[in-house]
Amino acid sequence: MGTPRRTPTLARVTLLLIAVLVSACTASSTSSSPSQSSATGSVTLTDDAGREVTLAGPAQRIVSLAPSNTEIVCALDACDRLVGVTDFDDFPTEVVDLPKVVVQTQVDLERLVAAEPDLVLAAGNELTPSSVIERIEDLGVPILVLYPESLDEVYADIELVGDAIDRRAEANELVDGLRVRVAAVEDAVAGVSAPLTLYEVFHAEGTTYTAGEGSFLASLLALAGAEPVTGDAEGVMGAEELAAADPELILLGTASYDSALADPAAALDAVRARPGWGELAAVRDGNVIPYLADIVTTRPGPRIVDGLEALARAIHPDRFD
Amino acid sequence: MRAAAAARPITLGPSIGRSTAVLGGGALLLVAVALVSVAVGTTGVGAADAGAIVLHRLLGIGSPTWPAASETIIWELRLPRVVGGMLVGAGLACAGTVFQALLRNPMADPYVIGTAAGASLGAVAALLVPGLLPIVGVGWLGLGVVQVFAFVGGVVAVTVVFAVARGQGGTPVVTLLLAGYAISSLLSAGVALLMFVSGDRLAAVVMWLLGSLGGASWPRLAFAAPLIVGSFVLILLRWRRLNALLLGEEQAGHLGVDVEREKRILTGLAALATSAGVAISGTIGFVGLVVPHLLRFAFGPDHRLLLPASMVYGAALLVLADLGARVAGGIPVGIVTALLGAPFFLWLLRRSLGPRLAP
Repeated sequence: MGTPRRTPTLARVTLLLIAVLVSACTASSTSSSPSQSSATGSVTLTDDAGREVTLAGPAQRIVSLAPSNTEIVCALDACDRLVGVTDFDDFPTEVVDLPKVVVQTQVDLERLVAAEPDLVLAAGNELTPSSVIERIEDLGVPILVLYPESLDEVYADIELVGDAIDRRAEANELVDGLRVRVAAVEDAVAGVSAPLTLYEVFHAEGTTYTAGEGSFLASLLALAGAEPVTGDAEGVMGAEELAAADPELILLGTASYDSALADPAAALDAVRARPGWGELAAVRDGNVIPYLADIVTTRPGPRIVDGLEALARAIHPDRFD
Repeated sequence: MRAAAAARPITLGPSIGRSTAVLGGGALLLVAVALVSVAVGTTGVGAADAGAIVLHRLLGIGSPTWPAASETIIWELRLPRVVGGMLVGAGLACAGTVFQALLRNPMADPYVIGTAAGASLGAVAALLVPGLLPIVGVGWLGLGVVQVFAFVGGVVAVTVVFAVARGQGGTPVVTLLLAGYAISSLLSAGVALLMFVSGDRLAAVVMWLLGSLGGASWPRLAFAAPLIVGSFVLILLRWRRLNALLLGEEQAGHLGVDVEREKRILTGLAALATSAGVAISGTIGFVGLVVPHLLRFAFGPDHRLLLPASMVYGAALLVLADLGARVAGGIPVGIVTALLGAPFFLWLLRRSLGPRLAP
């Protein structure tokens, strides 16, 4: 019989979830370049997708399509210029009550237009879908795509937003402060022996999602004095690959969202029960740490340095007495 | 009296009054649903402004007293979505009616012989291979590469299925269904393979496969509308032949219908309408399967009434489902159609168990 062929909806939603998680820890390379001002007060910027965007003047009404973008704007003391954010936004607290333009990861174009923005800050790597970016362009709203994949690119994006809102001096000051703190972490972990470390981003059905080869998260782990277990570029590892890698230390980023993993003893029991995990060196030696700072560690805004510091403290507590 | 009754054609049509009630009621429903959909959204642009903006843009009546953002919301976002919902819903329901009659199979829907799988493979390939951009040329008819590839994929898939199923004695329905099933499986495997290697673009692929009217814009509608409306008119002109086909291919042949020719033409038209719809909205399930059945339950199997009714009620259903999807936070409309439609359909099925299920 000719039964219609369709993937069950549940499976598709699961795939979507995985897609979001996977894309959160993958890598590709982009760059941004500085701005030029002209006599008319307009400013032309190049975003992380290589797009040239011209603003009529410093942006006064900003819609942010990613919490990391929101945090950059607020760190430049321009929280009051935000007119729309996502329903994931939780920092700083004053953004929680702003109009939500992204609901359940879907951009609501109608609310976006109603907010009457003169600048939209999107996320790259399909976190803001390219079809949505094109649509917003078509509607005539300037849109900058931010997709930092290293600390240097976070700095560059802070400066880019600084140029877009005429807060370049504040941006430079902020970046200088971040650089000092990163240097302090590097000093603190200088010369340590780097433990082979698995950072668990997500775990389901025997498959572990970790910091992908060459990803931002992997570079942070390295800076924090660890040798990251990476798997492939997507950071996907089966139980066998994990057993072969045999990490000495496991940071459960998942504990940030799953209270059942927040207690160290309970977390150790939980991972020991997973097929094959009981034999890992980290589990045998009890080196499984519920890591509760996942949000700042994986959200590429100014607080990423908080994340770096939290990683370094978790991996080398003896260096931070 | 008796002689007059005997002289009437075999296919007793519905009375004029009944047709008027069914189609008029459907049209009223569609207009009401469309008006509500334009007036309701996730922002506070209300009915009064919405009406004034539409009148201003269509007829030049009145001068703007509303914010520019409201005009963009009504004219560039809500209205194309509503019109897109009408087109896709009408096209899918009409194509479903045709396939159910042609294949004499109650499980038939617009996607049954390969359109969905072909369009999906085309769209996913376009989403994943940026190198395709220069081949087709950006902005062809105002469409994205994804839309073009989806449309072409759907049409090509049906053509291949038909070519495979065609033998010396014509194209048997069972062979057509089985070939459609096999080709769909093959193409679906291709889609799954591409998804597996899609890496960070997987989310975009999944969103497309779930189906949404969020991408509806005037240029895309300008592409799909002539294909869907044109196919519908040509299909409607063949209502007598569809009725004859309900009696079986042999009987239809006795009644003077060139069965093989009709199969080719009707399949082609239904596939065109389906592919055009899928190109602008992704694969939205359920509408094309259920609307024809509902209408057959309610109004009987005469295609003179069934075809226009499927068009009108299919349009109303999808616009209504999309309103629900928008208000519920932008969830994909295909989820809404199945979530609300399936229980209703099951209830109806239980109520009228029996012979009328088969077309």
